[in-house]
Amino acid sequence: MGNFFPRWTNWLPLKLAVAAGFIVFGVSLAVPYYFTPKYTRVGYEPTQPVPFSHKIHAGQLGLDCRYCHSFAEVSSHANVPTNQTCYNCHGPGKGNIKSASPKLEKVIKAAETGKPIEWVKIHKAPDYVYFNHSAHLNRGISCQNCHGQINEMEVVKHAEPHSMGWCLECHRNPEEKLRPLDQITNLNYKPEQLNRAGFYEGLLKKGIKADEIADTIESGKKASQLDEILALASGKYGEKVTQLEVGTQLKKHWQVQPPENCTTCHR
Amino acid sequence: MKRNWIHPEEPQTGKRYWRSPAELERRSEFLSKHGVEFPSGDTLTEEEAGQSRRNFLQLMGASVGMMGLASCRRPLTHILPYTNHVEWVIPGKPLLYASAMPTAQGAVPLVVTTHEGRPTHVAPNPLHPLGGGLDAFAQASVLDLYDPERSQVPLASGKTTTWAKVNEGLQAILKDAKTDSGASLVIVVGSSTSPTQHRLLSEFKAAYPQAKLFAYEAIGNEGQATAHQEVLGANTKTFVRWSKALRILSLDCDFLGLDPIDGEAVKHFTKQRAKDKSEGGMNRLYCLENRYTLTGGMADHRKPLAASMIPAAAAIIAEFLDIKEASALASAAPPGLKEWLAPAVRDLIDHKGSAVVIAGSRYGAEVHALVAAINNALGAYGSTVELLEKGSSATLASASELEAALVSGAVKTLVSLTPSNLLFDAPLSLSGAIQSKGVKLVHLGHLPNETARAAALHIPAAHYLESWNDVRAGDGTYSVVQPMIQPLYDGASVIEVILALLDKKKLGPAEKPADGAAPSEDPVYQAVRDTFASVAGSLDEAKWNLTLRDGFLKGSSYVKSTGVINAAAVSSLVGKAKIPVAPKAEAVEIVLTPDSAVWDGRYINNAWLQESPDPITKLAWDNAAWIGSVTFRSLGLKNGQMVKLSIGDRSLTLPAIEAPGHVQNSVTVTLGYGQQNLGFVGSDSNGIGRGFNAYPLRAHASEFVISGAKLEVLADTYQLAITQDQNTMEGRALYREATLDTFAKKPDFAGKTGMDSHIPENISFYKGQIGRKTDENPDGFDYEKKHQWGMVIDLSKCIGCTSCLVACQSENNIPVVGKDQVVKGRLMQWIRMDRYFATNEWGEQKAKSDEVNIDPTGEQLENAEMVMQPVACQQCESAPCETVCPVNATVHTDDGLNAMAYNRCIGTRYCANNCPYTARRFNWFDYNKRPLDELYWGPLSNPDKTGMRESLQLQKNPNVTVRMRGVIEKCTYCVQRLEEAKIRQKQVQRDSKNFRIPTDSVKVACQESCPAEAISFGDLADEKSSVNKAKASPRNYELLKYIGTRPRTSYLARLRNPNKEMPGAERIAAWSAHQI
Repeated sequence: MGNFFPRWTNWLPLKLAVAAGFIVFGVSLAVPYYFTPKYTRVGYEPTQPVPFSHKIHAGQLGLDCRYCHSFAEVSSHANVPTNQTCYNCHGPGKGNIKSASPKLEKVIKAAETGKPIEWVKIHKAPDYVYFNHSAHLNRGISCQNCHGQINEMEVVKHAEPHSMGWCLECHRNPEEKLRPLDQITNLNYKPEQLNRAGFYEGLLKKGIKADEIADTIESGKKASQLDEILALASGKYGEKVTQLEVGTQLKKHWQVQPPENCTTCHR
Repeated sequence: MKRNWIHPEEPQTGKRYWRSPAELERRSEFLSKHGVEFPSGDTLTEEEAGQSRRNFLQLMGASVGMMGLASCRRPLTHILPYTNHVEWVIPGKPLLYASAMPTAQGAVPLVVTTHEGRPTHVAPNPLHPLGGGLDAFAQASVLDLYDPERSQVPLASGKTTTWAKVNEGLQAILKDAKTDSGASLVIVVGSSTSPTQHRLLSEFKAAYPQAKLFAYEAIGNEGQATAHQEVLGANTKTFVRWSKALRILSLDCDFLGLDPIDGEAVKHFTKQRAKDKSEGGMNRLYCLENRYTLTGGMADHRKPLAASMIPAAAAIIAEFLDIKEASALASAAPPGLKEWLAPAVRDLIDHKGSAVVIAGSRYGAEVHALVAAINNALGAYGSTVELLEKGSSATLASASELEAALVSGAVKTLVSLTPSNLLFDAPLSLSGAIQSKGVKLVHLGHLPNETARAAALHIPAAHYLESWNDVRAGDGTYSVVQPMIQPLYDGASVIEVILALLDKKKLGPAEKPADGAAPSEDPVYQAVRDTFASVAGSLDEAKWNLTLRDGFLKGSSYVKSTGVINAAAVSSLVGKAKIPVAPKAEAVEIVLTPDSAVWDGRYINNAWLQESPDPITKLAWDNAAWIGSVTFRSLGLKNGQMVKLSIGDRSLTLPAIEAPGHVQNSVTVTLGYGQQNLGFVGSDSNGIGRGFNAYPLRAHASEFVISGAKLEVLADTYQLAITQDQNTMEGRALYREATLDTFAKKPDFAGKTGMDSHIPENISFYKGQIGRKTDENPDGFDYEKKHQWGMVIDLSKCIGCTSCLVACQSENNIPVVGKDQVVKGRLMQWIRMDRYFATNEWGEQKAKSDEVNIDPTGEQLENAEMVMQPVACQQCESAPCETVCPVNATVHTDDGLNAMAYNRCIGTRYCANNCPYTARRFNWFDYNKRPLDELYWGPLSNPDKTGMRESLQLQKNPNVTVRMRGVIEKCTYCVQRLEEAKIRQKQVQRDSKNFRIPTDSVKVACQESCPAEAISFGDLADEKSSVNKAKASPRNYELLKYIGTRPRTSYLARLRNPNKEMPGAERIAAWSAHQI
């Protein structure tokens, strides 16, 4: 009897096993990355029915976010503006800005027919997640923290993963993100641009005791005047204001205690 | 493994609280369900097994197919902003509007929650003089708006027709009416207080002087109306001031439940019942009735008395007060009644000026005439009962006159605008006349019911949330009813039809205005504004807006009447009365009452009401013959066994149900059931109506007590969905009560009942976060930096009306499961209204300690007390459910809630099995998604019916997850409202530390709807909160305290105020430390 199987088949099972091992290894590496919002959501950049440019409006023109997303500070939703909002500036007979542009055709048409423009949803929380914009914007979290550099985006894209882990990261360490309330819609905000004296003066004006501020900078320290606080702060954080410095102070004095309960988001 | 609670051994000597005679007698039908969280969950029923075998392979095939179809791509979703901004609307925030729900007697003032234009929930209007709490009907009314089986298109003799044809039909009627100035035309309206409706009817009458106007309600109050008219004067009405009434005697008047009489809100009555100091001032309620009602349950003294004997009782009371006319009536009284009434009447006389006697609105004119004379003698008028001068209204003739007009044959056209269902609920002589005399019937109604299908023209009615209207509340306060939404199906309101008959409006969808033209003013809106102008004195825009905002016009109540009692009228009415005969075993009486779920039948398609078990019998989805234990047992009946009731040639066959507390030789049947072909709620999938129609038993429209009936026992049985033995906690001093005297002597009685007097410090097996965080207890709850939620339910105030159940269902998107599932113990409502009967007849001498079985006599069951206790999740700090969840789907929050993360739950049901309060509910099926009669077909159910009905989707609260199959759910203290309140405070707090919400500024749904104000809820960490005050009461106790679960919900023991001179007073609410 001849051999039915050629000699190389002797090694086949082992080769297959090794290959399978590699595949399993590869898959186990790939799944935690490619099957998570970090990959599936970040970078989602659908084409919108109207080529509205945030880069022009929020970046170059410097429109405040709340001009269009007017209810973000009072409601759970940050509303997409009504067609009227667009029309007020661009509509013929209104602001008339570029009203003849073919890009605005749909806006003009919507105003005539009353049929809304169908914007494509980018940031979508699952049905069982009850996110609330007003709870964040009123307490020192900026638009930019979750939506990225919108003012630099020609077409808006998903900048952050918005996964539960990502939410919790910030809820556990809010000091890494908190900023003064007047900087919430400043998308170019950098803590180092802040004036340290002005920042601490603001806190003192709010009735917060200098001792408490000093204690927050470095536990056990005391201070009675702004100068002492400033000295303490530059000793601890260096020349420029840092995020940690601002965040730690705000967290302490605004009593920021981001809940980590299930019911915070799931009801 | 399920951990069984080792309850302390039952002491056999104390007072017993029991839910059903089966529990009391330890019958197998109770014991088989007892302690089993999911009675039908462990084994498949035949139906389930059959379905799964048949469909297993098909299902597998379908799932594989679907897996293949499921795309990996992210589905494209859109955001559609408003094109033009809508006034007041902020996307994501609800808008609240004040409005009112019209009722036969007056109106229920409401605040309606709308989400982007969809009304989703109604709550009471606290600003209104009669505001405060809702009944279950008002609470559930929002579901009627979205009823998918609502009448949606006009019908002509049962066939779909167009609105154009409807308008033509009405024009034809008008043409005829013009020729004979309306002589052959009859309009029948329901009882209504709408000034606009009355004004337009008068206008119509002026235009067609020969036309006749009638009022018809299936459950009317003709006797009361006659007595009021003759004794008090035609334009006078009574209004009871509960806040001033310290002694109340009710002659079968269920004023806390189904016989709402004009008076102050129920909270004024219950306020007088919860006293923490025993200095008196607590009111006392005497009650005579044939069956248990909510009022009877609240009574301090209650005597089961046949309904036909109520006139005799009224006569005896009158005799005691030297009102002579009544002696003939009084002589008919059964033995013992006079002895029972004597001390009660003495008590009333001792409280002259703060006493009141009330009688059921469905009793005859003689009873109400006597009651008027009694109240006059007691000095009630002007103090506890106010006489008010009613405003002008159209003259409407009664139902008996309608019958006469129909029989005479003069009527050619009948326009039915009453919410009643003429061909179903009118006496046969009346409905027969409509059909046999060839009367052309025009019908306006919500449901495609018998009358709608038979009518020559049926017009779909608009819901009260869809149209402009106005009403006067019980005290005359004027409210405008605002539309919350465009009519979903172009329905017309009563006012619109009258306007159409006045040729001022076309019915049907509003005509589009011509291009550029302003839309024309709605004539209904105009009509209401015209009425407003006459009520308010002028059409002041500011005043109009204020009325819309507040929900009522300030200072618009009726003026006080100067009328006096007409004694001659009392004698003539009493003289005309027939002398009643006490019922006997061979000639029983039948008592027809409104139903707690469907009222007179108009709510037959409301699934929330249908599925709320009747507060007394715990029967859902059906009606039955309530038969007292003595009669029930002497006939050898079983629950669900069919009986035949017959009186002359009229008869009714229906299942019987044992009703403790019901008088013997008397049968109570609730009305409104038995309507055929009404879709999937009002009837079953074959179109067979739910329940049994008792209307044909009555000979005329005001007959509610039928004497001399025959009761026969049949062999058949019928499946009844009775929930009384489901979700039991069994014994162990769950309900605690005592008399005011006991409370004065032993203020801490509630804490010394059952095991509570000798439990060690926390003995819980389940350790963890407990109590307030201190240096000694570092793991405790943080009261400094967090809210800590808690609830107290005052059993002295709770009347057991089940309004909270419905409010919870509406707020929390709780699904309806259908009758079959209720039978299996799968009711989903988060709040369970536990109804216990109580007996202490077997004192220490009677019961032997080694004997578990108790063999009660019929008389003991007839005289059992009845108490109510709502139970939902107790929010245990040391929660047994949390430790057994394998996936951490139920965990504790920092503010003391036992939270449920639905999307984490995998449905092991360990938590429900481990809950000592049986407060958790499991979604056995996709109740929201599947038709209730095809639950077992799963994804293979009829695709036309699968998925939540579009109209029902509109009702859902957007702030609460709609749960799917395989998920446990339960009360979370309306966590969506709490989170909303906290976030609202964050908007105020901003850069400060002021995180705590204002005291008592958040209300949970059950608390808000509670008409008795029995529920206190709030922040335990806020010292000023009302919940803290309630918890400080000595009456405070926790359910099953000895197992150490540390619940956040606690109860205040009930107090009762018996009169020592009454027979049997010593047994009432007798407190015993060893009760179970």
